[in-house]
Amino acid sequence: MMDKKLINEFEMLLGKDRVLSETEELLCYSYDATSKDFMPDVVVFPLDAEEISKIVKLCLKYNTPVVGRGSGSGFSGGSLPLKGGVVVSFTKMNRILELDEENMFVTVEPGIINADLKNYLSERGYFYPPDPASYEFSTIGGNVAECSGGPAAVKYGVTKDYVAELEVITGEGEIIHTGSKAVKNVSGYNLTELFSGSEGTLGLFSKITLKILSKPEANSLILVSFNDINNGFNAAISLLKLRNRPSMLEFMDKSSIESVKSYFKSDIIRIEGNFLFIIEADGSQAEVDKSIGEYEKILKEFSPVSLFSSSSTGEKKEIMEARKAISPSLRKYGDLKINNDIAVPINKIPTMLLFLEETSKLYNIPVINFGHFGDGNIHVNIMLDKKDIEMVKKGEKAKYDILKKTVELGGSLSGEHGIGLEKKEFMKLKYSDYYMNILKNIKKAFDPQNIINPGKIF
Amino acid sequence: MKDRVKYKNIDKSYLDCVHCGKCLSGCPSYVANLNEFYSPRGRVRLILTDDADKLPLRAPKVSETMSSCLLCGRCVKICPNGVKIDKLIIDEKIRLNELTGHVFSIDKFALKALKNKRKVLLKSALEIGNIPIIEKLSRRYAPKPEGKSFISNKDLAFNAIFPINESLGKNVFKVGYFSGCVFNSIYPQISVDTIISLTQNGIDVFVPKTQGCCGLPFISSGDIKSFRELALNNVRAFKDKEIHYIVTSCASCAYSINKLYPLYFNANEDEYAEIKQFSEKLLNIWSFFKELEKKGVNIKSGELKKETEVVFHAPCHLSNMPEFKPASSNENLIGEAGFIADKINGLKLKPLNHNYCCGNGGMFNIRHYNLSKKITSRKFEEIKEASPQEVLTSCSGCMFSLKDQKGILEGSERLPVRHLISVYAQSLKELKE
Repeated sequence: MMDKKLINEFEMLLGKDRVLSETEELLCYSYDATSKDFMPDVVVFPLDAEEISKIVKLCLKYNTPVVGRGSGSGFSGGSLPLKGGVVVSFTKMNRILELDEENMFVTVEPGIINADLKNYLSERGYFYPPDPASYEFSTIGGNVAECSGGPAAVKYGVTKDYVAELEVITGEGEIIHTGSKAVKNVSGYNLTELFSGSEGTLGLFSKITLKILSKPEANSLILVSFNDINNGFNAAISLLKLRNRPSMLEFMDKSSIESVKSYFKSDIIRIEGNFLFIIEADGSQAEVDKSIGEYEKILKEFSPVSLFSSSSTGEKKEIMEARKAISPSLRKYGDLKINNDIAVPINKIPTMLLFLEETSKLYNIPVINFGHFGDGNIHVNIMLDKKDIEMVKKGEKAKYDILKKTVELGGSLSGEHGIGLEKKEFMKLKYSDYYMNILKNIKKAFDPQNIINPGKIF
Repeated sequence: MKDRVKYKNIDKSYLDCVHCGKCLSGCPSYVANLNEFYSPRGRVRLILTDDADKLPLRAPKVSETMSSCLLCGRCVKICPNGVKIDKLIIDEKIRLNELTGHVFSIDKFALKALKNKRKVLLKSALEIGNIPIIEKLSRRYAPKPEGKSFISNKDLAFNAIFPINESLGKNVFKVGYFSGCVFNSIYPQISVDTIISLTQNGIDVFVPKTQGCCGLPFISSGDIKSFRELALNNVRAFKDKEIHYIVTSCASCAYSINKLYPLYFNANEDEYAEIKQFSEKLLNIWSFFKELEKKGVNIKSGELKKETEVVFHAPCHLSNMPEFKPASSNENLIGEAGFIADKINGLKLKPLNHNYCCGNGGMFNIRHYNLSKKITSRKFEEIKEASPQEVLTSCSGCMFSLKDQKGILEGSERLPVRHLISVYAQSLKELKE
């Protein structure tokens, strides 16, 4: 149990309104989008860097863990208070601090919702590309901590490619500033990039400066399906070689198509085949029209089962809603989901998908796959029945096999969700003890007392 | 642990919650608080924990978050796993009410007056709580919700007359009109305008005197007994009349009757068949006009003498018929209501960018006035962006919230708020003149 004195000190610092310590309230901060839960001892809502610094210093004094949290929508347990302690909720730090139109940067507080920032920029003709499936409710702070990516990554990259500057409170409660708005910046180690994807283990962000682009004038979608996986694969590879490569190249396997079929409401969108791609072209209207024509021509050479293109807002929205609904709608295949977001080199995708099919057969459990073809990122969902202990064991084995194969193929354990709690025991598949020690020493440099989000990654 | 929540939930859809967080940004009470204790996901977790008896939870604390749910249903629409969050919360409120319902409070007194159609008592219950000295005293002796209640509005017309009509004419189409308590007691002119709009289109309208409140304020306070009594009273008021449909101009009444009536009567009860039939017969006014159009009835167009730019606030409880497909730009903007907007020459509909909630939520507005106004302020941000001359809507609750602009709009600036049906009635009249 936590020292009552610490709660009192928080109340003195922030006021009672910004400190939660009743069981009923804490319960609402005990989970994220994984199936694990841990109760915090207290939840605090800071409003600026000074307050966060004081919070961390109090945690040091009482030797209490401190974990940052945005919307709690992560898939690796990054915001879970594994060892209890203090949850720092950033939701009340959600302002846009500066739009620098000359240099094309926007500076925000970490609690702003990705979609709110996108809307703000869009109204002014700008564009912030990273678009995790959770972008309508996840925060920018969480996105940076997990280095989130989404469909746009194939053309525009992931969160880290947009983070220019960070204001961070370290594990010693010190406020540091990393990065620069200058495009060229080689002056010491690149801490900005180190923090992007550090899963909240090195410090707490209080200010984030992001690079922005001019908004593309138009976009159109193609929905295409194939019966033969190799045909689909070769078609996609050809699209990626184009100079005007797609701004999205998502795929779904047969089982994920099934799970979201009901989301397609229009009669015009008919889904057939075993393997489906959602392809987007963006740019000026002329560029989009040209690209869509070119893509269609290429796709037709690989005998698709169905091909449908759309520039209507309603249809595009419907298609994207269906894409975003896959992950949560898998619930019907089982109440326990082992969610892996492996990434492999693109040319290894067919090998991997074949392996996944075999694994599903070997253990006789549903394995549902979809993801971002253009960046090799596959969401592998092993669906289990929580109460069936034998099945859960088989699921864990399948997970091990899949991650092992991923490493063998030269891939990554996690493309965008992070290691967190969910995959930490698999790090040894990829990294030596020596390598892991380097990571631990880096953490020590920022957080010598190991109070910032302890127990994650390693 | 005397106040421990001990009743068991019937609906188990909370087991389908994967706590993805998708519901957060849609929930008006979460967005206003930015505290997950006030989120759909948080409420579902509390109900689940309570049901599993995992942790001792305290009823008053759980009540705090349940009563700050507006029952707007946005989370239900967003949820990819079909968790019936509104039903779960109502069930929880029913259990909490059984534990704490005996405590006297001014809002409960007001509900009592409403149920018994004691207008004078209702008015005084709501007004009395706004007198500062009484407010101070009442906190001690008769708990009253925070802040002022909507009754501080000057335009309430408690004494206005509601148009009863219990005989039917010879027209082919015959409907019943269900007013709901607000368009009966407080804004009866909206009832008059609805009936005019119907009769002018050649429809006979039956308006029974004995109809009352739809029951939503009661079930949203966990008082299932009164809810069921009121439901049965309304069913009986329209019983045995040869009418094709029952029409209401209040979106929340339609939500209550269409969605909740069949949920809170069991299929094996004697009254179930009547309740279900009544529930299926009731349509919101916009769905009804679309239905008429489908049947080949020509709906009259009207004309406003002065061209008016408006926005339409689509109530959270307003739903279109499942097979509805927008056929005009107005229908694209606001759904079935756009069909009537199309019929009003001189009405220029401007879009609202987000369609935020108005913040009313029935008893929510009375119990959490300050929070409610915070949500209303956000609504007015998007209204101001559109800079309309008038704000239109079609729900009694939304009208209350949208009219309460003090402290939201600057100084003495006020935006007129009307029911779209009143504008339609006006356009029919002005065309003739």
